[in-house]
Amino acid sequence: MKDQDRKRHLATITDRFARGRMDRRSFLSSAGKLGLAVGGLGLGFGLSGRRPFFDLTGTAFAQNAENLRPSEDIMAWLRDVAKPYAGTTLRFATESTPPSNALNNGLVRYFEEATGINVEIEVLPLEQVLQKLTLDAASQLGTYDLYYIDQSWAASFSRDVFDPREQYEGNADLAYPDYNIDDFLPALVDGIAVFEDRWVGVPYDIPIFIMQYRKDIYDELGLKAPETMEEMLSNSQAITEAKGPDIYGTTGQMKSGHYSLECDWTCWLWGHGGQIFDSSNKFVGNNEAGIRAMEYWDELKKTMPPGVDGWTWDGQGQSVSQGLAASMLSWGEFFPFFDDPDAGQISGLMEAAVPPKATTLVSPDQTGFGEIPGVGHQGGSSLAVSRYSKNPDPAWIFMQWATSADTQALITVLGGGTGPTRSSVYDAEIVKANARVGAGTTRHLPIVRDTIANHMGSEPDLPQWAQISSDTIPVGLGRYFAGEFSSPKEALDEIAGQVDQIVGG
Amino acid sequence: MHGTKFARTIRFIAAWLLVGLFFFPIYYWTSVAFRNGRDIFSRPPKIFDFEPTIANFNAVFGISFEGGVPQITPGGGNFYMAPRLWDSIVIGVGSTLIAVAIATLAAYALSRMRFKGSHHFVGWVLSTRMLPPVAVAVPMFFIYRQFNLLDTYTGMIIIHAIMNLPLAVLLMKSFFDDVPNEIDESATIDGASRWTIFRRIVLPMAKGGIAATAVLCFIFSWTEFLFALTLTQTDVRTVPVVSTTFVTSVGTAWGNMAALGAAAILPAFIFVLAVQKHLVRGLTMGSLKQ
Repeated sequence: MKDQDRKRHLATITDRFARGRMDRRSFLSSAGKLGLAVGGLGLGFGLSGRRPFFDLTGTAFAQNAENLRPSEDIMAWLRDVAKPYAGTTLRFATESTPPSNALNNGLVRYFEEATGINVEIEVLPLEQVLQKLTLDAASQLGTYDLYYIDQSWAASFSRDVFDPREQYEGNADLAYPDYNIDDFLPALVDGIAVFEDRWVGVPYDIPIFIMQYRKDIYDELGLKAPETMEEMLSNSQAITEAKGPDIYGTTGQMKSGHYSLECDWTCWLWGHGGQIFDSSNKFVGNNEAGIRAMEYWDELKKTMPPGVDGWTWDGQGQSVSQGLAASMLSWGEFFPFFDDPDAGQISGLMEAAVPPKATTLVSPDQTGFGEIPGVGHQGGSSLAVSRYSKNPDPAWIFMQWATSADTQALITVLGGGTGPTRSSVYDAEIVKANARVGAGTTRHLPIVRDTIANHMGSEPDLPQWAQISSDTIPVGLGRYFAGEFSSPKEALDEIAGQVDQIVGG
Repeated sequence: MHGTKFARTIRFIAAWLLVGLFFFPIYYWTSVAFRNGRDIFSRPPKIFDFEPTIANFNAVFGISFEGGVPQITPGGGNFYMAPRLWDSIVIGVGSTLIAVAIATLAAYALSRMRFKGSHHFVGWVLSTRMLPPVAVAVPMFFIYRQFNLLDTYTGMIIIHAIMNLPLAVLLMKSFFDDVPNEIDESATIDGASRWTIFRRIVLPMAKGGIAATAVLCFIFSWTEFLFALTLTQTDVRTVPVVSTTFVTSVGTAWGNMAALGAAAILPAFIFVLAVQKHLVRGLTMGSLKQ
């Protein structure tokens, strides 16, 4: 049996055992046939029983369940600091992301038990979160105590939330002694949380573009993970030529008018020496580098499955998961999903790599609105306490707990291998223990860490960016791919005109 | 019936094809609820030959039959939606009762009584539906907040009843118009009061119309999204709003969404079945004019 098949079979049987669909005897028997020692599988036991709050099995089957609870230190701090606030109810509207799901699916119960504070988490799609928070902030209602702030909204909400540094230093009684605010990855603080001189919350999650590819197909065709933009294209062309139309070289998230299309655009734009704004805050995505990027994208699109311009990240992930596309330069959050044997056809077949190098890269000091060019487009978000909250102190306690290293390590494991925003969490033992093939794997996290440090690109921070990134640019690009313009330049010029009008007010 | 055996067979096949055409999407959607992720997007698509699982229902309703033993495991997680089905039922039934009750009285008055500007009144009622709901949603949010109606059954029942009233009034008026005025006049000659005529004579004759109106009101409430999204938070949330919860940053949980969707068909289906006898009459009322 090939190593990949062995891994895939192991992932499948372990997952079935963990979900209670396979008895221990059959599991051991199957594992034995794979030539694995019982001791090596010991951590898999004890998880087949049903737990009342967690569904650990899909994400963390390699962990001992008893390890997956907050440390006694942080629980003791919570019990002590939150006494005056017992009975308070906190409201938190968030996108359905791995960290929020891990909190809502079980971890928050520990917080509620220790503090007596009730936490109501409203999970919504991203655009609905924006709608709710905009309404709340514009009218200063205080309906929500905690804001989930996508990096593209940081400028819009910067004056509506507390700066966490001020909260931490301003109220020593409520400060968690081991919070260590310097542990947050500096690149993420700059890229996600900082607007002008303020921290708009602390980095909460970090979806980021990494290279994900089918190792079996790459090996079969004698290819290696692309290190340059040209290699990315030639690899995709080679695969499409050899395997198409059953398997395409790569895929995308190119739905007209959707934010995901803008995300893909920035990746190719930055990768070809382009930039969105220049240092005088003028839109320059239509310059020569921008046009080169579009021409490259046109060529790359020929190696993507038909229908790619109707997909967001959902369709993009599914196209890889079902074996239709052999690679994607996209959100690293998908990697654990690909490893899940129940979710698709490719468990154990994917590998991660850092994004291909840009042909040239514009320096951040030559851009406008704090834009940071980099092929590893990041779509992170921050967590902050609303200035209009009626319960800012208990909300701050919750925020410290939810973003502490201890909780974030649990979130990383329970949240299905999502990327941590703290440096120390990447080195946490429970995170490393999940670096194996299977649902909720963390084996891609070293690549995520490297990408954050060396390849990360961040969108500009300006109050109008939510409109520009979710409407103006993706609608214009969508029209281009629908054939409404005769050339990339014509499309980009029109986008430039609209963006400058919006920015100019 | 008429025609040759061949013609009957063709009609029979055509009828079944038509039924199949309408039924297939429901079947496919329901079958997605019983699939794991691997089988939902398989290539080529699997129509029947998938390995059935109830894991999606387990996550959404907290009901598991693993090992043949029913277990209730309300996890409180993101995808646990059983209480949301109940929220939708309460709001749908409550708003329908209120809308139909008010609409019936108003429509009877508009159908039978003449008052200054009465012919403009129907147009005015209808015009309240011409405003895009999104233009109303935000002001309603502030009004509701002022009156503590946000995130409550009462608030949602009121807004859905208001939303359905214009259409219900218009529909009911057309049904009452179809009941001949001579019947009212005969009853009046026999000494019946206006209220007695309405309650004892006209209302029973318009039962079918009331059923048809109730079905429409219930379905509109059951599927309404914008007000439910804007005026609720965590305590009360309807099925259309929570369905979007399955859209996550790492893709859509289609199996879970289908499980909720399949279950959400049932209450509406049962409601329609309950009023079906009257519904057919209601839908054909007005087809024969005097």
